[in-house]
Amino acid sequence: SSSMNKYIFILGMVLLFHAAYSAAQHRSYLRLTEQEFTSLPADIVLQTIFSLLLTVFGVTMIAGEFKEIRSNIDLQKKTWKNLNNRPSFYTFNHRGHIFNP
Amino acid sequence: MEKQYKHWEDVRDLLRNWREENCRQSEDVVDLWNEVLANHFGKLGDEGWLVLEQVFIAALDCHNMEVANFCLSKLNQEFPDSLRVKRLKAMKYEASEKYEHALDILDLIIKKDETNAASRKRKVTIYKSQGMIIEAIKELTDYLRIFMADQEAWMELCDLYISQQEWNKAAFCVEELLLHSPFNHLYLQRYAEIKYTQGGYENLEVARSYYSQAAKLNPKNVRALYGLMLTSVHMASNSKCPSQKKKERIKLSEWATNQLSQLQDSNDSKLFSSQILEGMGNLQIGNDSKN
Repeated sequence: SSSMNKYIFILGMVLLFHAAYSAAQHRSYLRLTEQEFTSLPADIVLQTIFSLLLTVFGVTMIAGEFKEIRSNIDLQKKTWKNLNNRPSFYTFNHRGHIFNP
Repeated sequence: MEKQYKHWEDVRDLLRNWREENCRQSEDVVDLWNEVLANHFGKLGDEGWLVLEQVFIAALDCHNMEVANFCLSKLNQEFPDSLRVKRLKAMKYEASEKYEHALDILDLIIKKDETNAASRKRKVTIYKSQGMIIEAIKELTDYLRIFMADQEAWMELCDLYISQQEWNKAAFCVEELLLHSPFNHLYLQRYAEIKYTQGGYENLEVARSYYSQAAKLNPKNVRALYGLMLTSVHMASNSKCPSQKKKERIKLSEWATNQLSQLQDSNDSKLFSSQILEGMGNLQIGNDSKN
């Protein structure tokens, strides 16, 4: 994962924490000035949503290649030749030793 | 070996891939070991012991006793009291056909550790190598009574039953496997093949449904398509088939034949031609419909 994605992720997390902190600070300010709490100011809401999107984007880019969700597509690549091999049950009394005197 | 793997890291990754995919390319493994990894063994770290085991088994396959002894001695040096290394020693005796020695060692391991699954499986393999299939089956069924979730063992038991032509019991083993992974088109195809081999109208019906499920999951599964074509043609020409289902069956076989010829065209394979496909359709006795 490139460092750019790591920076995006860290930036997203920092902004998220900052938004949470400012929301808490806003509520305590309202409590101190004895105003009613109806809703958070618009900029905090926007910052929260934006930082969430940023964090999610950063995490998915860091996570790497996604696996196919349909299980049968993954299995289509398997062949009977390899699926039929059972390593715990390998026998050695085949003709292989003739090729190696 | 066409490619020259110069870098030991590529070789290590390739061997790891083969380990996970259960590929049995023993000559290539031994060649790669001799050319590349033997000189870089120290750099492999913990993975080196897994590689040693892999090379050991590959060397036994090729009967290259030098390499096998070298790997075993290195493993013995590092893990002197290990039951896993003892099991590898028993495998070496198996490869040299000293079956009594091997059985002694395995019995010792089992006495020391009742839960050791791998040594019990080696006992089954020893009986199989000596041709004592009935004992092998008995040993394997006892093993499966204890370790019921072991998919490898169920597959092995299925193969043993097929070799003894006990189709019902083999079908039962594949059913156990299907419980674990119902989306695996290869298991479905295997089950269908056993049912098809048993014969009879009801078994052909079952086989047809399993073949179609396998073909649905993997449209490129040639064996499933062939099975679909053959079962539907057989059922259509059977007297027990009600006439409206006959038309369905014949349509199904035509569809399967089309899919096969499409695949063959796209693959550009010289292995079979469209004439053989047509010929197979004409081989059916009493097949009145012409494709």
